[in-house]
Amino acid sequence: MNITFIKRIIFTSIGRKFVMAASGLLLGGFMLFHLAENLLLFKGEVAYNTWVDLLLSNPLLPLLELGLAAVFLAHIAAGTWVRIEDWLKAPSGYEARNWQGGRTIGSATMSYTAFLILVYLAYHMLTFRFVDHSIGFYQMVTSAFRSRLFVAVYVGGAAALVLHLTHGLQSAFQTLGVNHPKYTPFIKAGGWLVAVTMIGFALIPVYYLLNLDLTAATGTYQVTIQ
Amino acid sequence: MNLNAHIPPGPIEKKWDSHKFNLKLVNPSNRRKYDILVVGSGLAGASAAASLGELGYNVKVFTLHDSPRRAHSIAAQGGINAAKNYPNDGDSVWRLFHDTVKGGDYRAREANVYRLAQISNQIINHCAALGVPFAREYGGLLSNRSFGGAQLSRTFYARGQTGQQLLLGAYSAMMRQAAAGTVELMNRREMVDLVVKNGQARGIVARNLVTGELESHAGHAVLLCTGGYANVFYLSTNAASCNVSAAWAAYKRGAGFANPCFTQIHPTCIPRSGDHQSKLTLMSESLRNDGRVWVPKTRGDKRPANRIPEEERDYFLERRYPAFGNLVPRDIASRAAKMVVDEGKGVGPTGQSVYLDFRDSIKRKGVEKISGEYGNLFDMYYQITDEDGYKTPMRIYPAPHYTMGGLWVDYNLMTTIPGLFALGEANFSDHGANRLGASALMQGLADGFFIAPSTVGGYLGAAKFETVTAGDPEFGAAARAVQERMNRILSIKGKKTPSELHRQLGNVMWNDCGMARSEALLKKALKKIPEIREEFWSDVIVPGADKDFNQTLEKAMKVADFLEFAQLFVKDALERRESCGGHFREESCTAEGEARRDDAAFSHASVWAYAGEGKEAVLHKEPLTFEHIKMAERSYK
Amino acid sequence: MNNTKHFNVTIRVWRQEGPEEPGRMMAYKVNDVSPDMSFLEMLDLLNEDLIKKGGKPVTVESDCREGICGSCGLVVNGDVHGPDEHSTVCQLHMRRFKDGDVITVEPWRVKSFPLLKDLAVDRSALDRIMAAGGYISVNTGAAPDANSIPVNKDDAEEAMDSAACIGCGACVAACPNGAAMLFTGAKLSQFALLPQGQPERQRRVLGMLEAMDKEAFGNCSNEYECEAVCPKEVKISNIARLNREFLLANLFGKAEPAATSSHLISTPDVPEDE
Repeated sequence: MNITFIKRIIFTSIGRKFVMAASGLLLGGFMLFHLAENLLLFKGEVAYNTWVDLLLSNPLLPLLELGLAAVFLAHIAAGTWVRIEDWLKAPSGYEARNWQGGRTIGSATMSYTAFLILVYLAYHMLTFRFVDHSIGFYQMVTSAFRSRLFVAVYVGGAAALVLHLTHGLQSAFQTLGVNHPKYTPFIKAGGWLVAVTMIGFALIPVYYLLNLDLTAATGTYQVTIQ
Repeated sequence: MNLNAHIPPGPIEKKWDSHKFNLKLVNPSNRRKYDILVVGSGLAGASAAASLGELGYNVKVFTLHDSPRRAHSIAAQGGINAAKNYPNDGDSVWRLFHDTVKGGDYRAREANVYRLAQISNQIINHCAALGVPFAREYGGLLSNRSFGGAQLSRTFYARGQTGQQLLLGAYSAMMRQAAAGTVELMNRREMVDLVVKNGQARGIVARNLVTGELESHAGHAVLLCTGGYANVFYLSTNAASCNVSAAWAAYKRGAGFANPCFTQIHPTCIPRSGDHQSKLTLMSESLRNDGRVWVPKTRGDKRPANRIPEEERDYFLERRYPAFGNLVPRDIASRAAKMVVDEGKGVGPTGQSVYLDFRDSIKRKGVEKISGEYGNLFDMYYQITDEDGYKTPMRIYPAPHYTMGGLWVDYNLMTTIPGLFALGEANFSDHGANRLGASALMQGLADGFFIAPSTVGGYLGAAKFETVTAGDPEFGAAARAVQERMNRILSIKGKKTPSELHRQLGNVMWNDCGMARSEALLKKALKKIPEIREEFWSDVIVPGADKDFNQTLEKAMKVADFLEFAQLFVKDALERRESCGGHFREESCTAEGEARRDDAAFSHASVWAYAGEGKEAVLHKEPLTFEHIKMAERSYK
Repeated sequence: MNNTKHFNVTIRVWRQEGPEEPGRMMAYKVNDVSPDMSFLEMLDLLNEDLIKKGGKPVTVESDCREGICGSCGLVVNGDVHGPDEHSTVCQLHMRRFKDGDVITVEPWRVKSFPLLKDLAVDRSALDRIMAAGGYISVNTGAAPDANSIPVNKDDAEEAMDSAACIGCGACVAACPNGAAMLFTGAKLSQFALLPQGQPERQRRVLGMLEAMDKEAFGNCSNEYECEAVCPKEVKISNIARLNREFLLANLFGKAEPAATSSHLISTPDVPEDE
């Protein structure tokens, strides 16, 4: 059994990028799905909890969670590896070097936004995943969103995510070899669209926070978006 | 000096085939026992190294560049000729042969040129197979365009970068052999001397340009693929590192130098803008297809070009050569431009240029069509001059571009030193007194890919070799002489930089031995050149050490050789009291000022032999006979 | 034009005696600069001046000075190949600058291009990538008639776009990670696009990538700085093609990498034979 080709796909310079790109696309897909789930919050407690119950009743859920965790880990591992190697091999010592027109804020900050997203993810897991869910999911989420710290982390995290994806999504296609004068503009636009959609993750907590704050300030005024 | 060209007997069409049959072969398993030293990695060098490597010889390639891919063949723009007759316009090997001999003003060797024309088709086949991205028609087949000096389309091209693409093709073939272990790349090495032992070329001394060490390399044959020497003019379209040193070292070791004065001056170059100028940039001569060349009729007319009315313009090419107009061959266009400039009608800040005007063709075809065809050239012109060629006429002036002269070689491309071969621009054989456009690439690749692999093998198979190693005293002696020369240069510590002295030499060469040469001027040059040489050896300043990466020392060594070589160049020009091709003697022209050949007295290659330090070079002659082509006056009226 | 005033600039340039020596930026005044000078001619002027004053000229590489040989390569004021877009530094002219300007000149600072002296670096790593598959294996004399292999014109044009690479190394110098993907992708694409390149398509990509990974090049992070500076406007679609070819060769190919030879180029630092 010859596994050279697998080693090459994973361990060469391009291979590491395949891992990063493929896992990145999966994660991007997951984030879209997760955002859609969360938008159910706006439909109210019943809708949201029903969905969560449905999800939890799926016997494959632990397996999916495990898979998701693996994808996350692969993405982080490949990213860290590439980043460390690049730090070691990067040109160094330029007294001055300007951005030449290819870099974007998103592309130049990938490892920083990655770190912020990781913090965001850890916080998210600690507050929602590894806690007591007995008060019900809707209550748990909406009450958490009344904490300013919580909302600050979410807004910061979502911003990092948007920035990360502005570069990450189209970059993943490029890495996987998808580049064509006809389709690439659409891929780039699509990448941006998905990235900007991630603002949703910040809008939800801000919505709940503003709701609370406005109520507290005036005592009479109720925001009724629903 | 034995100038037997070893032209095979028999009909000209059969000569090459029968010669290949008669050449000795080297058994495939014995080939790796032969070391071949290839100096230079341009089209000729890279292709020779690739082919010899494929055959199994042990090849070392020396280049003074950091990579073999940088050789100046890379800068050739227009294309490469071949007698494919794909366009069905009546081309044939015979016609290419004929055009090349005629274009060279009947000063090339018929048998060599015929072989070149024969091989031209194979070159295209091979280069296409190597992945050279030649221009294509929609049907997927190769596209051709026309070029100066031919009345049909036989030029294959890859945009305006044909030289680059062909060189990278040859380079890739060579790199394949490098990976296979048959070719060893010796980058950043400059050949400083040739080692001859028992009458055979058996090695070279090279300077490692990074460490400054002198290295000895022994071999069974040495191939000089070291290009041309147009930089003797200081300003030329050649790259900064182009030089005569390797050929000059070979000459001093006994190789005959043929027709050194045969230089091609290219008409469409961007004129110099001041004394700071380090090189001149060529623009493809295809510009003359749509541009009209003119100067003001009045001397010293300083009005901007667009304010000079039509009737006050002198379209001197169209006036003098109504049949060919702006499309006369390079040598003729260059000389005509020089004449009007000498009359004081030159334009631009220095008065050393003529207009190349696209106004009328833009009016006729529209600016889009023109920019579609020549856009990159207009951009290049703008980048260098800051002038917009669409709005005001471009300014052009001729510049030295290519040297037809070079080391004398026989039919086998072997010089007068057994075992020393010269390929490409470094030899003299195929272009006579004037080279046609798109023929340099053809010759470099013909020599390297197809001719040398056979003839070098023939030599190796027939010659007897004694054991020679790099430790032999001949290598030590050569290295010591070079070392002494370097020490001397470094110890002068004078006031003039090598570049200044080079520029001084260039001025003399350009003014006195440039586009128009006369006995008086040439004699003047023969007096001035030794003075500059004297100045060099008493007043040059070269800082730094020899065992170092020392670019000034490299330059100084090249200039020292140019200063010796220039003398031979001018001497050759003086001796050839006729006008032919790029060599124009004012004494030898028709009443209208056109060049006049003297076939009775000068139908020969002038081959110069080194006679020793301080002694006059000795002239030998290889008579040129034309059995297949009738000699006639070139007329473009 | 000549009637434009000459001016003075200050050049801050990297000086380093040898590969192992420490280097530093040194400032020099260059007087009487003509706006018509090329940037390299301005450096010539500086060097002539340094030589005459008994100093050591700045080692800087250039050859054709018409933007095709790929010898030159400098970072000028933080810009790879200088401020002009898609051009080599030899095509940069001094009219871009004005009197009193302080111009910073640095070499390619790339791990895989060891610095030799001052502004000169060793780019032979690129040659080693080429030797590992950057060719079509056809021996001289074996080729069929050139027109027996029709090539789609659009493919031929695209192959030419890729083949335009001059091997100057600007893509590596501009890459935040010092990757050579644009260089490698360009050569690979040229052959991948042509029918002549098909037979060894897989072994080529495996070989060239293996050779590239052996050098000290970084990973590509798709920042496209290479494309932004490339003097020949080689596109990043070449990198995508390299990625794609590599993936497909691994998933579906039978080929092993084209041979590489580690001691292909005798290193300039080691004297030979003596």
